Amino acid sequence: MPDSYLAVRLEALRRAQASGGGWGYFPGKQAWLEPTAYAAMALLGEPAADKAWALLQSWQMSDGSWKPSADVQLANWGTSLCVTLAIARGEWGDPLRKGVAWLLGSAGVESNWINRAAARVGLLNAGRDLSLKGWPWKEGTSSWVEPTSHALVALKKVTASKSAVGGSSLSERIQSGEAQLLDVRCSDGGWNYGSRAVLDDDLRSYPETTGIALLGLQGVKAAGKSIDLALKMVQGSVSPMARAWLTVALRLHGVQSPALTGPETPDVLITALEALAAPEGNYRLMQTESAT
Amino acid sequence: MKSDRREFLAVAGASVVAGYAGWRGGTDERPAPKAALGRSSVAVVKAASYSVDLVSRMLEGIKECGLDVRGKKVLLKPNLVEFDPATCINTEVSVVAAAYETFRTLGAAEVRIGEGPGHRRDTYALAEMARYRTEIPKFDSLFVDLNRDDVSPIQRFADRKEIYLPNTALGADLIVSLAKMKTHHWAGATLSMKNYFGLVPGSVYGWPKNELHHIGIPRSIVELSRVFRRSFAIVDGVVGMEGNGPIQGTPKPVGVLVMGSDLPAVDSTCCRIMGIDPARVEYLSMAADVLGVTDESRIDQRGEAIRSVRSDFNLIKEFRQIRLA
Repeated sequence: MPDSYLAVRLEALRRAQASGGGWGYFPGKQAWLEPTAYAAMALLGEPAADKAWALLQSWQMSDGSWKPSADVQLANWGTSLCVTLAIARGEWGDPLRKGVAWLLGSAGVESNWINRAAARVGLLNAGRDLSLKGWPWKEGTSSWVEPTSHALVALKKVTASKSAVGGSSLSERIQSGEAQLLDVRCSDGGWNYGSRAVLDDDLRSYPETTGIALLGLQGVKAAGKSIDLALKMVQGSVSPMARAWLTVALRLHGVQSPALTGPETPDVLITALEALAAPEGNYRLMQTESAT
Repeated sequence: MKSDRREFLAVAGASVVAGYAGWRGGTDERPAPKAALGRSSVAVVKAASYSVDLVSRMLEGIKECGLDVRGKKVLLKPNLVEFDPATCINTEVSVVAAAYETFRTLGAAEVRIGEGPGHRRDTYALAEMARYRTEIPKFDSLFVDLNRDDVSPIQRFADRKEIYLPNTALGADLIVSLAKMKTHHWAGATLSMKNYFGLVPGSVYGWPKNELHHIGIPRSIVELSRVFRRSFAIVDGVVGMEGNGPIQGTPKPVGVLVMGSDLPAVDSTCCRIMGIDPARVEYLSMAADVLGVTDESRIDQRGEAIRSVRSDFNLIKEFRQIRLA
């Protein structure tokens, strides 16, 4: 019987995989891209992960994006996760190239020329620098911390591979995305879901979003001042999801993080994130070139 | 409410900074045609604190509204947004627990609790912070995280071809909007109708559900209430939130529960209690005579009279013009 923190979670993931190769957010539910991608990262190298990748490939749409589940016909932020997973698997074929091209063409609509012009002449105060481009959850909407951070991980891993995928706009989008994350950092040093203030009132940062933002800011010196806050958050948060993301981020920033403890959960996404965050887990699959 | 800045951007077709600066985005098209609706009953029941017998008060209000839930699958939809111990963002746990007991007592075949918070990814941790997991017996087995439920498409939603919504909500015979009585910095007030933003799945639309901002907040509120017509509202006005709601405002004790099957009627009654003119709340003016009645003369007020419980909420400067005369 497996009994280590990681082994227990990997076994739970193996048990929860649906016959089609995917994972639902909870056992027995419809398969979704997000838990499937993280579970496939956690189980990388196992047949279960291969089966998951086969399913995910079938969810790539003709424009290069990935849809979030078999039945939801919308281009989705989870494209970033599939690009990261493809790189982890060494899959450098068309799915990856098309996925990267789609990511490079995707941006939050707040940074379009009309808004930039309006901001320049003082007609619009969005409370952020509209010259910076991040990524939205869904096409046609604004950019937010989490999808921006995951896109940064994916594109930085493409850059680190020194492959020809992506072309010249890669570094420009990475720099702009990093700058946007720093631009929306809250006054307490962490990240809310996307803004630092509403109507001039500072917003509090969230532990889970702070962890995810730090993931996208690997190798960025200015992220350093958020590390102490992340350490406090990982010890104080009641959210196992937040603790897992913070632990992954701290490890990737080269910071010792307290070992995760706690009971198993039926929540597949959290189980996969906890498996990734374990000391011997696959968190390094999200490591980018600049990480320590 | 539209400023010159907003008009400029509307002309430019750029509904793009919703959620950052309050731009409402989307089209300004309104549902049509207006239908002639009859009268609606709304019950206002006093509850001085959360320690009073809330179940008997809910039973009293529901009886006044003539709701029959026998044999029905009921989904309780609280307003669980995020947690700050310094204020009162969420529907109080005792209200949710009392509603569960109330609908079981009334003979519902099934009563579940579901929510899809708009800001926080870990719904169960949020439910723990709000004491739902500790104070509602068997909470985990009753609860559905609507952000991560299985979904189905519903054709036509505002100017979108379709919207994906959680199967638990679509399959319910009755959704009970257990809303919190709060001001809202983009919509003016958040009550039983706005509470339905939590029925939209984050797994498809993200955190926050920015798609709704780009469609337009008032329009999205109305559209969600149109989709989920089989509804009943219980608004937690025992302690509401005033000022910069729905997150950063301050507690406002009012001491009431407001109930009814006509959500626009319930929300317009809540507005009058809060000292807000419902005719100046855009989504209520859009819903009036389409989804329900908002005209006070067509609402049969049960229980307490509005004037006996009215307690004006502080409004941020952007919404001072919606103050009820």
